[in-house]
Amino acid sequence: MTEPAVVVDNVSKRFRMYAERNDSLKTALMRGRKSVAEDFWALNDISFEVPQGSTFGLVGRNGSGKSTLLKCLAKILYPDKGSIQSFGKVASLLEVGSGFHPELTGRENVFLNGSILGMSKKEVTRKFDDIVEFSGVKKFIDQPVKNYSSGMYVRLGFSVAINVDPDVLVVDEILAVGDSAFQAKCQQKFVEFREAGKTVILVTHSMANIKRMCDQAAWLDKGDLVLAGDAKTVTAAYEADIKTGDK
Amino acid sequence: MNYIKELYGTRELLANLTMREVKGKYRRTVLGQLWSLINPLATMLVYTVVFSFIFRAQPRVGDPSGLDIYPLWLMSGLLPWMFFTRVVNGGMASVISNASLIKKVYFPRMHLPLAVVGSTGFTWLNEMAVLSIALLVCGGFVLPWLPIVVVVMVLLAMFASGLSMLLAVANVHFRDMQHFTTILLQMWMYLTPIIYPISLVERQAEQYGSWLLDLYRLNPMERFVSVFRELLYDNRFPDGGDFLWCVLWAFVVFALGAVVFQRNEKKLAELL
Repeated sequence: MTEPAVVVDNVSKRFRMYAERNDSLKTALMRGRKSVAEDFWALNDISFEVPQGSTFGLVGRNGSGKSTLLKCLAKILYPDKGSIQSFGKVASLLEVGSGFHPELTGRENVFLNGSILGMSKKEVTRKFDDIVEFSGVKKFIDQPVKNYSSGMYVRLGFSVAINVDPDVLVVDEILAVGDSAFQAKCQQKFVEFREAGKTVILVTHSMANIKRMCDQAAWLDKGDLVLAGDAKTVTAAYEADIKTGDK
Repeated sequence: MNYIKELYGTRELLANLTMREVKGKYRRTVLGQLWSLINPLATMLVYTVVFSFIFRAQPRVGDPSGLDIYPLWLMSGLLPWMFFTRVVNGGMASVISNASLIKKVYFPRMHLPLAVVGSTGFTWLNEMAVLSIALLVCGGFVLPWLPIVVVVMVLLAMFASGLSMLLAVANVHFRDMQHFTTILLQMWMYLTPIIYPISLVERQAEQYGSWLLDLYRLNPMERFVSVFRELLYDNRFPDGGDFLWCVLWAFVVFALGAVVFQRNEKKLAELL
């Protein structure tokens, strides 16, 4: 096995479910310091390694903890137990167009969004033409983005994100962006990504996508890791489980 | 230490977030950035009419500048105060109003309140420039004091951002904070000698005992306002004690705010 790009080590994540939550001062004072909470473990002792240069898929039913794990990988949430170690620059694509300001132009938003995603101004300037070219909104780049169609908006956001050029890219279910021509371009971009030896971790419900793109996968169920390893084995086991579950 | 390094490493993000606030604010207005000057001018007009003509508040004559113009005296204290309240209110709200960003992207969250300080500071700088010109035109000798004014502006910015970071964290836990703070700031303003001179309080203190004045002067903003007035309106070195208090308040509150914010930063995405 090659060097790991990300090591997930005994990660557990707890959420508090508040039966009655103290989110106003009045309730906090009336009830004293204690609010009534029940623990919910969204992730239970998950461990696996993502090898460098692989495309790693996370599968599981709704509520299995995929997105929570992804958010932990993206450093948005922090595990309560265990640790996640990543080697190299990690970028996350959980949403496109994060931080876009509707009144600013496409050009200004590319720079803003780029820096939110961790690119320097120099980098954005260098890649600016690529980004605009890829998004296909060249004609409207100096218009405020609030006038964009929703398709243009996501395409521009996606183009910035895909050009961040990290070592590890964490992607939530956002591959279904734009029309089919644009989707084909995105697929192509992911292939280039993999060829450049970069690691991609993605969540998707589309088995076809997993089979086509991933070489490694992990299957989560109710916060537990069921199986991790070769994508074919994992998807086969997962699909078999879904079939028996549906009966 | 690592955190400071990370903040510094992502300073371009801070610049961009600041730009977003500055540019986004007055888009689609005919007057654009001019609005940021119209606002304090209107406030000045109101306070001058009410407190100078009706209540007859009489600030002392500038010493040694010789200025005796209520609107200028007022603005020397009011502009710092307005900056302070805007930073506290804006910084406190910055975490909640950027909730969607916090839940989707990782970046040092401290840039959010700091960007409010930056964008508000930009407006404030413009206002102070206009005030300085007005002071010059009216015969004040303000130019040599401007470097010290900038230093005190930085101190006030530190104080305000420290407080806004503390309140931002509190506001995530209890949304009551923003409503509470509005009332608090209103009372705070009247407890600070901005629209009336401190001599009125001194007169009361003579009658009721000096503890009244001591208590009154515990207010950090009183020190800041008096230092700004001495520099801008009187054109002299600020009182050493006042200046030291400003430094102390600025560093202590900023450090406290930054530490509390940084400790709570990781929990923000979950709490929002």
